Amino acid sequence: MVAAVFHPLGIFIVALGTAFLTPLLFRKREGFASLIFMLALAAMATIAAAGFLALANGAPTIEIETAGIAPPFAINLRFGLYESFFVFAVNLAALLAAWHYLPRLRKHAATLLLFIIMVMGIDGMVMTRDLFNLFIFIEITSIATYTLIGFEREAGMLSAGFKYIIATSIASAFFLLGTIFVYYQTGTLNIDDIIAHQSAIGGPIGFVALLLLLTSLLIELKPYPANGWGLDVYETAPSAIASMISVGVSAGVIFALYKVQPLFGDFLTSIAVVGGITFLASNVIGLRQNNVKRLLGYSSIGQMGLMVLAMALLQQHGQHTHLALIVGGLFLNHLLAKAGLFWLAGVVQRDTVRGWAGVAGKPLLLLVLGVCLAALIGLPPFPGFWAKWGLVMELAVDNLYGWIALVLVGSLLEAAYLFRWFGHALRADDSEPVNVGVAPLLPPAAAAALLAVAGYFTARSAGVVPGQLLLPVYAAGALFLLDGLPGRLKSLAMLAVVAGGGFWVAGDLQGLNRIFALILVAGGLLMAVATLYRGDARKGFYPLLAALLLSLATLLTAHTSLEFFTSWELMTLSSYLLVTLGRDGVKPALSYLLFSLGSAFLILAGFAVAFAATGSIELAALGNAGDSVPLVFSLLALGFVIKAGAFGFHIWLPGAYTEADDDTTAILSAVMSKASIFGLVIVAGQLGVRADIGLEPAYVLGWIGMLTATFGALMAVFQEDFKRLLAYSSMGQLGYIVAGIALMSHLGWVAALYMTVNHFLYKGVLFLAAAGVIYRTNTRLMYQMGGLIKNMPVTFVAVMMAIIAMSGVPPLTGFGGKWLLFNAMMDKGWYWLAAVGFFSSAVAFLYMFRILQTVFLGQRKLAHKDLREAPLILLVPQVVMLVIILVLSAYPKLLLDPLSAAVAPYVPGALLWDGLALQSHLGYWNAPMIMIIVGGVWAIPLIFLLLVSLTIKIQPVKQFNIVYAAERPHRPEDTHYAYRFFAHYERAIGVLVKPHATAFWSAVSEWSHTLAASLRILYTGNGQTYVLFILVYFVALYFANTGTV
Amino acid sequence: MDIDWFQKIGNFGLTLLIVTVYGLFMGAFIERIIAKVQGRVGIPYTQPIINILQTLTRRTAISHGIMFYLGPVFRIAGGVGTLAFVPVIFGSETFSNFSGAGDLMLVIYFMFFGQLGMALGAGESGHPYAAIGIARGLSQMTAYEVPFALSVIAIVLQYDTLSITEIVAAQQGGWQHWTLFTNPIAVAAAMLAFLGMTGYSPFDIFLAPQEIPIGPPTEFHSAYLSLLQTNRALFGATKLVLFMNLFFGGATGWVELAIKTWAIYMVAIAVGVAFPRFRIDQSIRFFFKIPTLIGIASIVYVQMALVR
Repeated sequence: MVAAVFHPLGIFIVALGTAFLTPLLFRKREGFASLIFMLALAAMATIAAAGFLALANGAPTIEIETAGIAPPFAINLRFGLYESFFVFAVNLAALLAAWHYLPRLRKHAATLLLFIIMVMGIDGMVMTRDLFNLFIFIEITSIATYTLIGFEREAGMLSAGFKYIIATSIASAFFLLGTIFVYYQTGTLNIDDIIAHQSAIGGPIGFVALLLLLTSLLIELKPYPANGWGLDVYETAPSAIASMISVGVSAGVIFALYKVQPLFGDFLTSIAVVGGITFLASNVIGLRQNNVKRLLGYSSIGQMGLMVLAMALLQQHGQHTHLALIVGGLFLNHLLAKAGLFWLAGVVQRDTVRGWAGVAGKPLLLLVLGVCLAALIGLPPFPGFWAKWGLVMELAVDNLYGWIALVLVGSLLEAAYLFRWFGHALRADDSEPVNVGVAPLLPPAAAAALLAVAGYFTARSAGVVPGQLLLPVYAAGALFLLDGLPGRLKSLAMLAVVAGGGFWVAGDLQGLNRIFALILVAGGLLMAVATLYRGDARKGFYPLLAALLLSLATLLTAHTSLEFFTSWELMTLSSYLLVTLGRDGVKPALSYLLFSLGSAFLILAGFAVAFAATGSIELAALGNAGDSVPLVFSLLALGFVIKAGAFGFHIWLPGAYTEADDDTTAILSAVMSKASIFGLVIVAGQLGVRADIGLEPAYVLGWIGMLTATFGALMAVFQEDFKRLLAYSSMGQLGYIVAGIALMSHLGWVAALYMTVNHFLYKGVLFLAAAGVIYRTNTRLMYQMGGLIKNMPVTFVAVMMAIIAMSGVPPLTGFGGKWLLFNAMMDKGWYWLAAVGFFSSAVAFLYMFRILQTVFLGQRKLAHKDLREAPLILLVPQVVMLVIILVLSAYPKLLLDPLSAAVAPYVPGALLWDGLALQSHLGYWNAPMIMIIVGGVWAIPLIFLLLVSLTIKIQPVKQFNIVYAAERPHRPEDTHYAYRFFAHYERAIGVLVKPHATAFWSAVSEWSHTLAASLRILYTGNGQTYVLFILVYFVALYFANTGTV
Repeated sequence: MDIDWFQKIGNFGLTLLIVTVYGLFMGAFIERIIAKVQGRVGIPYTQPIINILQTLTRRTAISHGIMFYLGPVFRIAGGVGTLAFVPVIFGSETFSNFSGAGDLMLVIYFMFFGQLGMALGAGESGHPYAAIGIARGLSQMTAYEVPFALSVIAIVLQYDTLSITEIVAAQQGGWQHWTLFTNPIAVAAAMLAFLGMTGYSPFDIFLAPQEIPIGPPTEFHSAYLSLLQTNRALFGATKLVLFMNLFFGGATGWVELAIKTWAIYMVAIAVGVAFPRFRIDQSIRFFFKIPTLIGIASIVYVQMALVR
């Protein structure tokens, strides 16, 4: 009985029954008709869901025979696992789309009727096993669709609908012709039968038959360049209809293609190329698109291209087993995300991406938008992430590196335009705010929620245990629910969650991971305490920060490259969103995201190559990659150094660090930047120290590190903005660490890790101190500060000590780093790098002094007379870190011994101690003794001066009481030497710091846009041209495949 | 630790006294030579000491704040500390100071200690000229650091050690073993860097003595100034000792030390009286050109000729 109720044939019965009843009911009562309509859609979705669940639990495939005659003599429908999944997904989307669009749909009986027929047509396309019947269902769907496109009777819609009719009619004609020829050769219309008698299809007729069928299906999927008509539809159609075209009709067609694909064994390369070109071209052209719905159109077409490509390549290389996860995951991801976005576009009703500034500050709307976009570009935890991972891995296994590059480049381009749009939505401007209630948001919100659920299940089917791994997502979700609480309460909740979660995840790590856990998790927590200094609501901030810190914890526990990459991408996503929360953070956040994704894709490619070579995704197996080791190492190392802000790829760094919230920046620089160091260490540990890799990639890495150190320092020298200066400084200091790792020696690694710990400590202090100063002065420009030592003495002392610890001046920790690095470089014979290191550390003095002089010393502004010390809670983490700096300065053995032990498994070696003095091949360093001597030589003159002061009265004087040459200082503003502090240095060597990197990347962006402009020249908007393209497309496919059959 | 600390400290105190007094007298001596060149009589030999006493016994002093007060303390601590880490007389336990605490790297980096503290003190005075002077001084420092670092790397490579004592030891056994003769290219680079380091003409714009009051000590006076004056002599002499140790065979006795350091100093003086002052950007560019090339050549030379 139950089986009868939930029999898939019920879908057609319900659809047809409702369709016939609707006009009648509509005459009686409109409301009742739409209720029945919704119930019918719900019933169809329920039947499909029940079928899917049963099949997923092992129930047998349901074969539906018609007319009481077995196939091939009669039409049959099939409801297997894949069919049920597609039907369920499409019906669910249809239900939500109808919900979203009901206020308009219910106005006419015809629209209700057509909508339900369209859905039924798609279901039929999925289920039927008969070629001619497939044609019928395609026609049913097309007719319903173009009527729905045009029913609002606006000019644009009508014209787009008309182009749609023409294009799909030609496609249908091709299909019908193809069907006829196939029937002629095989004598059957049953798809299974045709496949069974595939050998009968041959000669010119068979070739043309297959080509007609293929062209038809491809045209339905809107391949570039024969897709102008489709874009016009996406742009103008009502968003619910556009969404159904994008996710529903395309789903039917792609499933149809899947069904007949066995016939196209010889065309698979062509199909993949068609998909690849479409994916790439759509995403390039999307860059220039400002109309939201057309943008979504490009993205839809691109995603379809990706699915076609994946399906063809996997089929071609016999990877059928992966189809479900990869194509299914991509499809589900696209379905939910794209539909959600189209509906959002329908709700918001803003045509251009700029207009979306009106949604800024609407949390639910932004959440839904963000979830859908993140899913679409393949970020975890959504299905697309796992699917794309699987796709790249399988492509690598088949050595399809060019295809991997294409997929990744296309994805990056897609991210660029989608998140540019998101950026506009985040940034309020003078455009009119969008007023939407909660109710219209429910369908897209449901799509977003389903994305999360689907992500969870896709993760499980990808073989991931999503317990700990997705902890950042759960934590963020839980904290997001508390987002209405007062700011400080949320901060405390975040700290509790991070502390508990961090300990749970990373509490029992050992060795190297433990050291990084101390920096990333414990250190991150310490820095996060500082967030208490602001009491405002900071919507979204605390959930994201918890996600970021916990993703760092899960990163450390990763055993497989998939776990590592998942955590890495969660880190990317959460940190990107954190940057956008800064006052002017949106624009730099985009470039941060793009470079982060670029680096992540390199890492992904590296892991894929390793997987292809070893057959394992265990991180520990990376080293078995054999001949691929240099390639794997280069890809991964490049990915990590981009994320570390390496010279040439650094242009994302200053903007992101500067414009993020002040406490966010502290965490990004002091804590998160170490994640790339961790990655580099892990990779180098598995790969780099082996003899067979040769030194070249490591030597290149060493130079990248040192040039980064030098140019980071040089650029920091010329900054007026406090945080920007510190940002460049971070970049430079990480350069030393990268160079240390590149040494691939025990001493080099100890140096690198020592500097990592040290950088965490002093850069944490500096950024938190900067946060305090900016909080009080309300400016980031250093020349607008000055003389703040009088108001903020504790902050000054913190900054001074941090700067000494950074500079390398004994007796504080910095010297140890310089000593270790120099010795390690000399041991290795990298003299030139050592020399460059000397220079860059000297240059660093310039900006370090500039901070102290222009912010804390010199003349204080009159307006700053009554400023108070930084908030206490900001000072607490600083003081803790300073105490650690002092302890480690006096007794570095405390740090060096664990570091030495931790790196020994990767790079064998040991530190040589003579008492408390560390010995190297060249020299020695006795830190406790240095501390004592420096203390002594400092105390003695001080005592002397104090004694002298007893004999004479030392009079404190006012600010302006200075020996000024023959004139009187006018105002503090004129007397404070701070603006263009190193103008003379700029005159001398400013030529070195011309922004070549920025110019280069701007040019890359410019070229991409130019390419986009030239690619879209084809879209004339003229229906006749579009028809011509379709015909030419067929001809092109014909010539491209001549001789394949 | 089997160091007899009291003995060590006593010995160091003695060294400190000798070097400081020597530095003061040599300062006067140099001033007299310059005066002779310019056709003047010059100051008495005791003038530097008199100056210090005179400033020390001023009855009034002002303070701009705590860093201003501590600036000279940092400065002289930098001078004394640098001396503490440099072995002065080769083969003498008494005058080897605390060179066991660290090697050449320590000395090079500790030289910044005093400069940094001084810069902070001068900065707090609020005098813009002090800040200008420091900004110029630091910029020049980054420039002469390049040939100096290259030259240091060359000799570290040559002697395969960072220990100053061992570098001196390697140069014993006759003048022909001095770095000056075994690696003249490195010495040339280092001596050019030395010109910048001493801050005599043509590289003295950051101090701008005499005609305009510009530079870090602009606002210091009284007891502060006495500390700075003492340090100028001490720190100057210490740098000379360091150069003597690295490049000129070190010294086995005080007389040898006096002669060698004086001779090294005279290089800077001879250049100083002969050349007019560079603008700061000119001086920066100067060090990045010929001296840097010489420094690079010195490493290439060591790699090709001296290291197997």
